[in-house]
Amino acid sequence: MHWTEPKNFSEWAQRFFSARTLVMSMLLLVLVISELRFDWMEQTLGSFLVSTNATRPESGAIWEIGKQTRTAHQAIEKIVTDRRTSYREAENATSFKQIAATIQPEEWLLVPPDLFRKLYLELPPEVAQEIISSFELLELINNRDWERTYFEKDGGGLNIYMLDKENRVLKRLPISPDLLYMMAYSDVAFGKKLEEFPIFEDRIYSADIFFHVLKGLTPEVRDGVIRRPEHLLRVPGNIVRVGISDETISGFIQIGFEIESGAQQMVIREQGHEWAVWRLHSLLESEK
Amino acid sequence: MSKTTVINTIKYLTGFYYLVLTLMGLGVCLAVALFFFVLQDLPQVPEPLSRIIETPATEIIAGSGERILVLGGKEFIPLDRVSPYFVRAVVATEDHRFWEHHGVDKLRTLKALWITLFEPGKIQGASTITQQLAKNLFFSFKRSYKRKFDELLVALQIESRYSKNDILQAYMNQIPFGVGAHGIENAAQTFFGKSASDLSLSEAALLAGLPKSPTHYNPYLHFERAKARQQIVLGRMVAVGAISRAEADAAYQSSLLFQPYSTGARTGSYFIDAVIQRLEETYGPEVVYHGGLKITTTLDPQMQRWAVDSVKDGMEALDNIMGLNNKGADGNGDGGERPQTALVAVETNTGAVKALIGGRNYAASEYNRAIKNHRLPGSGFKPFLYYTAFDKLNLHPASVFEDQPVQIAIPGAGDWQPQNFSMKFEGPMILKQAFIHSVNTVAAQLVELTGPEAVITSAKHFGITSPLEPVYSIALGTSAVSPLEMASSFATFATNGVRHKPFFISRVEDATGRILEEHIVRGERHLDPACVYQVVNMMQGVVDEGTARMVRQMGFTLTAAGKTGTTNQYKDAWFTGFTPTLSTSVWVGYDKERGLRDANRVGITGSRGATPIWVDFMMKAMAGEPSREFSKPPNIHIENVDATTGKKASYFTKMPVNVVLKDGQVLKKIWQ
Repeated sequence: MHWTEPKNFSEWAQRFFSARTLVMSMLLLVLVISELRFDWMEQTLGSFLVSTNATRPESGAIWEIGKQTRTAHQAIEKIVTDRRTSYREAENATSFKQIAATIQPEEWLLVPPDLFRKLYLELPPEVAQEIISSFELLELINNRDWERTYFEKDGGGLNIYMLDKENRVLKRLPISPDLLYMMAYSDVAFGKKLEEFPIFEDRIYSADIFFHVLKGLTPEVRDGVIRRPEHLLRVPGNIVRVGISDETISGFIQIGFEIESGAQQMVIREQGHEWAVWRLHSLLESEK
Repeated sequence: MSKTTVINTIKYLTGFYYLVLTLMGLGVCLAVALFFFVLQDLPQVPEPLSRIIETPATEIIAGSGERILVLGGKEFIPLDRVSPYFVRAVVATEDHRFWEHHGVDKLRTLKALWITLFEPGKIQGASTITQQLAKNLFFSFKRSYKRKFDELLVALQIESRYSKNDILQAYMNQIPFGVGAHGIENAAQTFFGKSASDLSLSEAALLAGLPKSPTHYNPYLHFERAKARQQIVLGRMVAVGAISRAEADAAYQSSLLFQPYSTGARTGSYFIDAVIQRLEETYGPEVVYHGGLKITTTLDPQMQRWAVDSVKDGMEALDNIMGLNNKGADGNGDGGERPQTALVAVETNTGAVKALIGGRNYAASEYNRAIKNHRLPGSGFKPFLYYTAFDKLNLHPASVFEDQPVQIAIPGAGDWQPQNFSMKFEGPMILKQAFIHSVNTVAAQLVELTGPEAVITSAKHFGITSPLEPVYSIALGTSAVSPLEMASSFATFATNGVRHKPFFISRVEDATGRILEEHIVRGERHLDPACVYQVVNMMQGVVDEGTARMVRQMGFTLTAAGKTGTTNQYKDAWFTGFTPTLSTSVWVGYDKERGLRDANRVGITGSRGATPIWVDFMMKAMAGEPSREFSKPPNIHIENVDATTGKKASYFTKMPVNVVLKDGQVLKKIWQ
């Protein structure tokens, strides 16, 4: 269709007031007025947006707050879960060393006094005395102020606080890493000398002689005599005497190491292979 | 008019008509394209809308159980629990066609567009309440056309999905009113101490005016501005027929009874700042603000209120002494114009911080001088020196030293020649007298004997945590410490050397009551109780007859001990004192390098500047407390001696001085 410019006024008027132009203008006017009156455009757009709501991203301030809230709850849940796990593990622990293993650095554990009592009673009396005397513990239990026990890691060791109901410390019991190690190691006798063990009778040697003779043996024999030297390395103090048992049990012979650490004295018993210990023993006897 | 002209006019009009039609068509196409372009980034609207208040509140609770602050969470209330005055005020002010439009006020928008486009320099806002809600929920406050378009679309969706009541309810529950108040219930409680349902027309109009600019209209700081804004709100209400002119006038004239800013809305704000800082360090800001924690603090709200009052009264009195009230200085605005202060009160046998003030006006300066402001303690440091001398050198309070000119050679520097405050030398005197009267030359002799390192070790055992310089002048307090450290370390004197670290938080629980943290009250003993008690006895002497005798003159009768401190040029005035149960440190000084001087240019000492605040606070804090003595260690005894010779006092000794001696420490007999 070709458009030609109207030549005169009547042609202009004819075109301007043509049915098509009027209908279009009316339609436009109706659209505008109805929009102003009924807000149909807003409603249509709004309804369309409602229908697409689920597919759109969770973005914006309110969702950010929601995410932060979720992150916060996750962080709190982790703290609580970790603590519950530690608590459950502590409940089943059979030694203070296990308790120390359940506590993460910078963390702590609050347990009822019974758990401390249980673990305390599991210890050999000599070791238990090193932590707190039975009499003192009895006194604490009897005065009924002791409400909870707080365990806290202190380097490789453990701090134990006995608390009253206002969280005041009734008694603090520090357990050094060495003591903790030795607690797990049942063959430690605190405050004892080799003479107090009949199995070492007449077979006690000075540490100097013992290690001098040991040094002269082949590496295989040395390893057979002291199978876990790291045990001895961790013990504070110096080995002053060594006792060798005359009994063989299942191919092993007990060796007692008398250790002096400041004012403290203890005997640690290790198992050496029978063949290696006899070899060493014969050499020690010849050195006498 | 010729026919050609008419035809040309019609031609132009027709051309214009088609141009408009074409532009409109293009506009619609562009809008549709833009709509689909922004649609992919348009945020999802939460269902239900009340999800906006799902953030659980973190509550900070005082030791007494009183709730002192709620962080993060919002208290959602239904619309029928909001005063109708407030609803009408908000609608009249923010969006008077709210009930009619469908998210966009087209007439207002066109008007705003016209003004923005054709009146340079003017920007007219036209956001409806729904658009404001959309903006607050999803968008930043950065102005851009895209953001406005996004905001408009979300507003349309909200209008299509929710009722007008739901929208208004959500809006009112999240708008910020300033001073930490979000939502109308929170705001009504914060500003007027009442529920949103009980707001009067006057109160409602004031609050309705705040969201426009909460800081600018903060009624605590800018009351006149807030009143002017209230008048505008009331005017709008009259204009839309919500109230009559007479009601508006009456509401404007009626007086407003605000909650006290410092003690109501933000009780112990410096304290709370310290609590929040410590929590953020431990758990991170997300857990603190969004985790719904319940934090039990050590704060004693009553003691805190007394501390606020004592500091306010004490500093006003100091302003008078210094003649500052006549100079029209603005005490609220500029901390440099008027002296500042800090007060910390610590429970001696636990370390619990019971009250803490970090400045004279939290609203004007949030800088926490009680914790962060490290200032020279002056003679306030001497108790650590004397303890060290007693412990390391076996000296005792009756040991005799000569108050005389002292010259200590410092390798690599000139000689140190400390002077007495009085600029006089009194000759021989026992250490207790030297301590009570804060004789610097004797302190210098002592530090020369002990060495500064030993003094530092002792100070750290007492609870000083700031880095201390190992120099002789440390004896006179030349290493900076905070008031919290002073209060806490003096508490160690009160417990005979058992140190409790100061703490603010007793327990942290999550929203369901599971414990995240508990404070264990554990004391550490690294100090000799007998030596500590010897110093405590001397510090009692300071209060009873020494530099802090004002304590007794002002009527404080309970057993107390302490030490004043004043630094060079009167830049710092301290008094730290304690009873057997409470240790309090007060510091006064300028933030800037400036001395405290009265109207006659006489310097203000710790005794004059800080002690009155201490006494005023302690009289209230200790009221009704029974009189207790400091606990005595077993291996000590008390003797009366001559103040200058240190010999055991006889019947004829004038003004004998009682001193504490450890068993085994003997005095010279009178005839020796």
